[in-house]
Amino acid sequence: MSISVKVGEVALKNPVILASGTCGFGRELAEYMDLSKLGALSSKGLTLLPRDGNQGVRVAETPSGMLNCVGLQNPGVDAFLETELDYMVDSGAGVVVNVAGHSNEDYIAMVEKLDPYKEKIDALELNFSCPNVKEGCMVIGSSPKAIEALVSDLRKRTTLPLWIKLTPNVTSIAETAKGAEAGGADAVVAINTMLGMAIDIRTRRPLLHNNTGGLSGPCVKPVALRMVHDIYSAVKIPVVGCGGASTYEDVLEFMIAGASAVELGTISLVHPTRPVEIVEDLEKYCQDNGIEELSSLTGTLELWR
Amino acid sequence: MKNEYSITLVNKEVLGPACAVLTFSCPEIAGTGRPGQFINLSCDHFLKRPFGIMCTDQEKGTFSIGVRKVGKGTDMILKAEEGDTFTVLGPLGNGFDFSDVKNLLLIGGGTGIFPIFFAAQYAKDQGIPCKVVNGYRSKSDAFLYDRFSCTCSDFQCTTDAGDLGTKGNVMAYLETMDESALSDTTVMVVGPGIMMRKVSEWAQAKGLSCYVSLEQRMACGIGACLVCVCKIKAEQEGKEFVHKRCCKDGPVFKAEEVIW
Repeated sequence: MSISVKVGEVALKNPVILASGTCGFGRELAEYMDLSKLGALSSKGLTLLPRDGNQGVRVAETPSGMLNCVGLQNPGVDAFLETELDYMVDSGAGVVVNVAGHSNEDYIAMVEKLDPYKEKIDALELNFSCPNVKEGCMVIGSSPKAIEALVSDLRKRTTLPLWIKLTPNVTSIAETAKGAEAGGADAVVAINTMLGMAIDIRTRRPLLHNNTGGLSGPCVKPVALRMVHDIYSAVKIPVVGCGGASTYEDVLEFMIAGASAVELGTISLVHPTRPVEIVEDLEKYCQDNGIEELSSLTGTLELWR
Repeated sequence: MKNEYSITLVNKEVLGPACAVLTFSCPEIAGTGRPGQFINLSCDHFLKRPFGIMCTDQEKGTFSIGVRKVGKGTDMILKAEEGDTFTVLGPLGNGFDFSDVKNLLLIGGGTGIFPIFFAAQYAKDQGIPCKVVNGYRSKSDAFLYDRFSCTCSDFQCTTDAGDLGTKGNVMAYLETMDESALSDTTVMVVGPGIMMRKVSEWAQAKGLSCYVSLEQRMACGIGACLVCVCKIKAEQEGKEFVHKRCCKDGPVFKAEEVIW
């Protein structure tokens, strides 16, 4: 019996990955769980230069989820390499490094900075989908042609596996996934947060001081599942599911829909021990159901005709 | 390793129409919680709700919090009955540092009086001379009045209505204080932002070291999500501020570091 999975060439001891932006670089959640039991953790989104992020109120609760507008507060890629990368490596979890640029040049510069550390990094996750910064990111991620052009450029600059994290805020996520595949991506990650809003009826102002924010948590799971399935049906490269998974059953749903691995994280903001419990539950599920290879579930969805 | 604990509400003391002291059974938090730290408590909404610890009882293995209705989450928590179960993370945050404190001036307002009570109790246990000044709206709003009076030999209060203690807000009292009564005094203040700011400015003008406990809308409470940041003066030259996490780097900050 094995719960290990592969995302293309990247082997993970199990499919559970902490999603970028929900776990920092692992230090805080390490107080609550043994990170080495996880498949991987994806770093806080890095930018070329340090970013303070957005000011004012950054969170609004929603039914079964939350909106955030943190705005990529991070120490910058250089400080990451100096103080955080080794911590992530030593944690024993797989290391996914999430990078978010304001322009093509930003992504190029960051990929070139990270490429020399390929021994320590399992995959680069290119965030083409942050809804909370005004420039870059989601603009590139909305156009299949722009994605293809940038990925094919980055492809030439590193042999590190390139995972493209896609935004759900498009008409067809299958099309943006195809752009990533055409550019030479190794995998796509779907989905980043959905752009949303919350309003204070007393002040008639948005609750978030960025006006809008990214919706995450169990409320987005049905949308994420549908999109994972759309992508799985449209491309040959692996899909990493992401969006509201909170239990082992959710992880199984994502895998059946077509995901090779599953990122989660909003749930660990509420229950920080949950990710390792999910790993244990997946093991038990396989044992109880006589499943030899958990990875065999990927893409086994049978649609009604 | 830290954990999320399942806890039971063992006592509910209603203080007013939308305010109560809730006591939970949880030996872990009872054993390690310090003044200025908080807990993150489940409710029937998605995120947990943060509350400053009001006191702990290590023998009974309980801790208490004061809850005032703010929105739907706190409303649900206030409707809970003894025997109801919750999940909780804590103790969280840095708490107050008493290590160099010779004389203590504690100032509370709003729900800030609850964590201030913990600090007053701790000062009493440690034999630190302590004065408490609480700002209330009116006599009917003067929660924990008797408890503060028993715990603290020098307990003062102010009311906006003027029906108890000094009329006005806490500044009205502080401005009457004699300089000589403030030598070697550390100020700790928990309350509404405007109150903490005014007290900070007053303390700075008097040359007193002052600590504030900041509040922000919070999600995880453990420092992972970065939604509850506050602006703190940057040490780095050419940079005005850094965003620090209320939940993990705070909630207690030196007043002179805070950008209000």
